Amino acid sequence: MDETPISRGFRSRRQEQAPNNRVPPGQYVTTDFPVLSAGPTPQTKLQSWNFALQLGASLLGRWNWAEFEALPQSTAKKDIHCVTKWSKLDTTWQGVTFDDILKSVGLAESPAPYIMAHCDGGYTTNIPVADLIGGKGMIATRYEGSPIPPSHGGPARLLVPRLYFWKSAKWVRRIRFMEQDQRGFWESLGYHNYGDPWKEQRYDGD
Amino acid sequence: MAIRGKNNAMMATEAAAGPVRRLNWQLAHVRDIVVETYRVKSVVLDVTDWQGHLPGHHVDIRLTAEDGYQAQRSYSIASPPEDELLKLTVERVNDGEVSPYLVDDLRLGDEFELRGPIGGYFVWTVATRGPLWLIAAGSGIAPLIAMLRHRAKRKVRTPALLLYSSRSLEDVIYRDELDAMARADPDLRIVHTLTRKQPNGWNGHRGRIDRALLAEACFPPEQAPNTFICGPTPFVEHVADLLVELRHEPFRIKTERFGPSGG
Amino acid sequence: MAENVSSLVLDGNAAAGLLQEIFVPEITTAQVECGGCDHTAPIGSLQLYMSGMGAVLRCSHCDGLVMRAARTAHGRWLEMKGARCLRFSGDMAADRQC
Repeated sequence: MDETPISRGFRSRRQEQAPNNRVPPGQYVTTDFPVLSAGPTPQTKLQSWNFALQLGASLLGRWNWAEFEALPQSTAKKDIHCVTKWSKLDTTWQGVTFDDILKSVGLAESPAPYIMAHCDGGYTTNIPVADLIGGKGMIATRYEGSPIPPSHGGPARLLVPRLYFWKSAKWVRRIRFMEQDQRGFWESLGYHNYGDPWKEQRYDGD
Repeated sequence: MAIRGKNNAMMATEAAAGPVRRLNWQLAHVRDIVVETYRVKSVVLDVTDWQGHLPGHHVDIRLTAEDGYQAQRSYSIASPPEDELLKLTVERVNDGEVSPYLVDDLRLGDEFELRGPIGGYFVWTVATRGPLWLIAAGSGIAPLIAMLRHRAKRKVRTPALLLYSSRSLEDVIYRDELDAMARADPDLRIVHTLTRKQPNGWNGHRGRIDRALLAEACFPPEQAPNTFICGPTPFVEHVADLLVELRHEPFRIKTERFGPSGG
Repeated sequence: MAENVSSLVLDGNAAAGLLQEIFVPEITTAQVECGGCDHTAPIGSLQLYMSGMGAVLRCSHCDGLVMRAARTAHGRWLEMKGARCLRFSGDMAADRQC
């Protein structure tokens, strides 16, 4: 069709925000917290949960739940932006910053420029380390003061609020350092490799 | 080549069963709006180049606002292939974006984009052998009524059973039509259950569909019924699990889950 | 806040619109063999997770990832590493198993 026909009287119920310093272009603000998933919700018990840092074949660190909870805890209030266009402002998270994880295994800096996050259920996403250090990323275990429910990624999820929320991988279990960047689950199916919401980098080719 | 109308019913079903053409967006024109219940309406559409469909097929519709905003949803086709016009049955979902527009704002003469028919997996025709067992909750009745309307138009004697769960009598979609169908057809049995509210003197079932009801209102597994379950995801999964426990063959059970809100 | 994710699962049939933008023959009745557990089933019967980002179809026996599809601003993507083979029959009797 040359011209898409207009449906008389139909309009969006969502208020798209004029871009301002809180809401990236093309997003609308919601007070809900939509649950989006690519698979069944893993139901990992805390007693079998562990989290690992990996470089090549080496394990740089591994923590069980008690050990992970004993790491320095930080709280962050952040805005989050999903590529499906919803944004949620002032969300509060608690967990361990990426900086503190590196410190706890005696690393002053990251051993490689990129990471791949590996999660229960098989989900993966790739992130440059530069977007995780300096307080920019954490492994979160609490949302609004309570343990993160499984549907929202608990027991622990990655939190990288500066990038589209698909990068804040739910059910994270392992961070694998990479010398070369590799594409994760959505990045290998047409989504942008980096995903900066402020540049509207939703899709590969944007 | 447009194939429509009751004289071409056989050709319509065969055309729809043939090689699938490239799926294009077409224009659908609203020719009638039928009130089914206090929150459900059927929209009757004239689709310019409609090539026919099979009972159980669905369509995608796409609405475009003046500012270019678009929303897309899927709806089962409630009309049988023997009907000239296409009928979609829509339940108003309170915080929905599309269903309130279709149920409350749509007018005769309006138009929107539509593509289909799609979803040949969830299809039944009178050419299929074996009894027909239909299990629905709420608006999940839509694809199943297309099957029953088709069966009635073709006047076949295929044994059929509809088990239909609704919140209350006011929520039963197509109530009068279903009653009339069952009265006129000794090979069709319809069993209602009302889950939240029952009228005084109600002799039918109450509460959700459970193992006991499925064991009583059924075709036994040995008769290998072709079974279609449609409605909200938790309902469909619960019923499908019970059927497997009752020894029905999984591959004869087809499900169409509507997601959390029921469409 | 905690919405039940299992109520977000649909049937592969609900991805028909997106998949028919990619496949020409009827895709929901095509039989697919899961690369993870060898179970063969019609695509219409797979477990579908539609997250708004794309369609993710999983085996109903082992939950293994069978296929993924997405429509983006720049085209359509399909990945089927998790499928061993796909079979399209010429026959529209959708309830017949191969």
